[in-house]
Amino acid sequence: MNLTRRELLHYFGVTAATGLMGPGCIGWTREEAIPVDSWHKSVCRFCGSGCETRVGLRGGKVVKVEGLQAGWNRGRLCIKGLLNREILYVSDRAQYPMVRKDGQLVRVSWDEALDAAAAGFREAMAQGGPDAVAFYGSGQLFTQESYTANKLFKGGIGTNNVDGNPRLCMASAAFGYKSVFGADEPSGCYDDIEHATLFFVIGANMAECHPVVWERVRDRLRTAPETRVIVVDPRRTPTARDATLHLQIRPGTDVALLNAMAYELLRTGLVDPAFINDFVTFRKGTADSPPLTLEDLRAFLEDYAPEKVANLCGLSSAEIREAARLFGISQAALSFWTMGLNQQTHGVAANRMMMALHLLTGQIGRPGAGPFSLTGQTNAGGGVRDTGSLSHALPAGRVVTKEHDRQDMERLWGLPEGRISPHPGLSAVPLFEAMREGKVRAALVMATNPARSLPNADRYRVGMEKAFLVVSDSIFPTDTAQYADVFLPAAMWAEKEGVLSQSERRYHLVEKLVEPPGEARSDLDILVALGERLGHGALLKARTPEAVWDEWRMVSAGTTYDFSGMTYARLKELPGLTWPCPTEQHPGTCRRYVPGEDPLAKKEGRIDFYARPDGRAIVYLSEQGPFRESLTSDYPMTLTTGRRLEHWHTATLTGRIAQLKGIDIDYLEIHPGDAAVMGVKEGELVQVTSARGTVRLKALPSMRVRPGVVFALMHSTEHLVNAATSDYLDPTSAQPEYKLAAVRVERVKEGT
Amino acid sequence: MSAWAVWAMAAPEPPHGATLGGALEMVALGCIAVAVLGLLLVEFVFKSSMARSTYRWTLLLGLFVLPGVALMGTTGHMFESMKTVEACHSCHVMDPFVGDMHDPRSATLAARHYRSGAIPDKQCYACHTGYGIFGTVEAKRDGLRHWLLYVTDTWKDPLTYKGTYPNANCLACHATAPTFTRVDSHKALSTQLANDEMSCFTCHGLPHPARPTRAPTRVTAHP
Repeated sequence: MNLTRRELLHYFGVTAATGLMGPGCIGWTREEAIPVDSWHKSVCRFCGSGCETRVGLRGGKVVKVEGLQAGWNRGRLCIKGLLNREILYVSDRAQYPMVRKDGQLVRVSWDEALDAAAAGFREAMAQGGPDAVAFYGSGQLFTQESYTANKLFKGGIGTNNVDGNPRLCMASAAFGYKSVFGADEPSGCYDDIEHATLFFVIGANMAECHPVVWERVRDRLRTAPETRVIVVDPRRTPTARDATLHLQIRPGTDVALLNAMAYELLRTGLVDPAFINDFVTFRKGTADSPPLTLEDLRAFLEDYAPEKVANLCGLSSAEIREAARLFGISQAALSFWTMGLNQQTHGVAANRMMMALHLLTGQIGRPGAGPFSLTGQTNAGGGVRDTGSLSHALPAGRVVTKEHDRQDMERLWGLPEGRISPHPGLSAVPLFEAMREGKVRAALVMATNPARSLPNADRYRVGMEKAFLVVSDSIFPTDTAQYADVFLPAAMWAEKEGVLSQSERRYHLVEKLVEPPGEARSDLDILVALGERLGHGALLKARTPEAVWDEWRMVSAGTTYDFSGMTYARLKELPGLTWPCPTEQHPGTCRRYVPGEDPLAKKEGRIDFYARPDGRAIVYLSEQGPFRESLTSDYPMTLTTGRRLEHWHTATLTGRIAQLKGIDIDYLEIHPGDAAVMGVKEGELVQVTSARGTVRLKALPSMRVRPGVVFALMHSTEHLVNAATSDYLDPTSAQPEYKLAAVRVERVKEGT
Repeated sequence: MSAWAVWAMAAPEPPHGATLGGALEMVALGCIAVAVLGLLLVEFVFKSSMARSTYRWTLLLGLFVLPGVALMGTTGHMFESMKTVEACHSCHVMDPFVGDMHDPRSATLAARHYRSGAIPDKQCYACHTGYGIFGTVEAKRDGLRHWLLYVTDTWKDPLTYKGTYPNANCLACHATAPTFTRVDSHKALSTQLANDEMSCFTCHGLPHPARPTRAPTRVTAHP
């Protein structure tokens, strides 16, 4: 072929242009930093926010986790959410069943381990009857797992000794809702955030503990600068930094503050008389106590005028009045709370009063207004509260003390009449006390670490040592596993299939995407296998996640929960569904009790509290009550505990993630003035001593805490903070008082 | 807060003074004007009085050198003007993105950056161009690709960002800010952030409206 120089240049030019505009341009894309073979919808397995995720797989492994853009979290996750991809591959994943022989846990087959577990349970029941055994579960189990455990123990074995770690964090909120509205769980949804003009955050460090929900709040503040935020917290937390008004309250005085706000709202007339007249009733103590009037409440609150309680709360009366004014004048007030309000001996009273503020002002049942407690664990709401996996409860709002409810469940579970015990079982702390006393001889502990998370933990470790303990967990060793007689390796998160709920009553399906390590099995498989060996195989007819879910839907039908319309197919397709959802066509309910929104609200008008017999919510006259533990010269300071953004609970998971190992969790925040008086400098070791125990931590002088208050994280893996915390219980909810312990703080001399 | 105040907050002032694009535009126009005028004068007025060599040099200047400079000026002007938000918005496919950025009630990262005035101009280009010469080349290649997809009507809805967004574009401004450096999560994830294995957007929110809530670009492009 003969080419001229001109033709050659022409061809070069065309080739270059084609190269640039063809594959070099149209076909060019940036590379993915982490290549992914397939994406799958899922949910974060950490806190109760319930962030929706998409999980990237490659080579049979989870390689990437992102926020789901179509989810309520709009593509956001926090650092823990991002690290969902790491948790499956941390060191110390439990892989093999083990049985204690000659004091040591040794690897055995599944059959041998399950036989040993069943034998231990049978022996305990032979000695002490069905109430000599117990189940201690977790808000981290899937709904199907908690439901099956509840069924096995209450319906099969015949004991109501079924409780779990949600008792430690959410019980006061659950009892609060049930006593005020007749049904548990919040009435609103996350969409309310975009309509609120006031956020009242009490006892919740949302910026660290529910960070994605808080970012949505901050989005509201960014786009509607007129929105106000009141934060009530003894610490100046990252949440408080966004506050219009931060009430740095003295720990344990929330009821007094909320009563004072109620007093001020009534005094200034910033209440909703029509709402009170139509939808509210007044009581003291219990829901079936004699009805009272608004005037009775007025008279009761005379003792809680702001100037009378200001000193107790450690606030000025002007601050309290301003908080009440902002609440009263807001077009839509949305309150958030969590452990700070729940974990005290006045937890139920504080919850009731928080709800009372909304009822007195009519701030409920419309966009942006309502009381909204946040859940601490992934599935504490759906798995434990909804399925009734607590010692006093039965599924879907039923309780063991009501004959009708028991008969209902006996019929649904195919049990003979009278099978379910009418006596409430042991709640969390009394359960471990009963192990200590030898009354409970065997227990199955699943997906939780009570040896570290219980208050006054050293006391209850004795019980764990004494009882026959079967521990199922995905990590080995944990503090609790050290007391196990049988250890069963469990799959977690995307290694098994199940349903999780979250704070706004939204249920999500978590699909199995990868294989668990070693011989680990799902907790559902473990429960079914144990049930078989204990002779209750016939009771556990539903054995797959989908079959159990379908049974659970049937159990909820016709109740104030009603998940009937949440089929597995819909959960697979949709980014979650909120209940009530009574039909397969129903889109899910955002605001409960609102006619037109909630399919169960049949009456006309603003609201229908249908779970109450008279259709009216209750405002309780709630006393502040005395402190269970007073400050004395021996214990002059107050210890309060909490969490930080990067770690979660007892850090069994997050503590094993390489990226998080450098983040300090073993410190005690102390006011610089108190530190100066003690001669303590930053980084020096201090000893915190309560009437129960001691813990040594590094001092961190900080203006975050108020004088006289010290703060420690519950995560600490090296030091047992819960050796010092208080195990006094709320008399109604039996939730322990982690947030308030009288302590002495001393500088540790070198060499001691 | 009045609607006007919100709007004023949402609309940063345009940059003051001369811009490189404007200067290059003036250079190009000046060269063209001088060349045309010079050639007319040389050809029809001064040709007879000019030496042959001077005539040739002026022709060379008018026909090649000045047009060459004008070409460079127009190319430079085009390169610069294509960095503006208006240039990106000239394809109406960008309506949902630019509209959101201008929305004073939007909480997306783009809108927040725009409102705060942190990036005074060329907001799209600032965030969508990698740093250094390769960043510019990639941006031009992206722009050409987008233009080709647009004129051939072959883009797909919803628009998606191809590949991994480089965190370096965020870190270039934020990496040394105390609000960034004091956050323990940033320290913990420093390697993953540097390698783009985790995205800044995951915690800090989407830069533009989420796909399910975004207006379809085709409806906007072809009303």
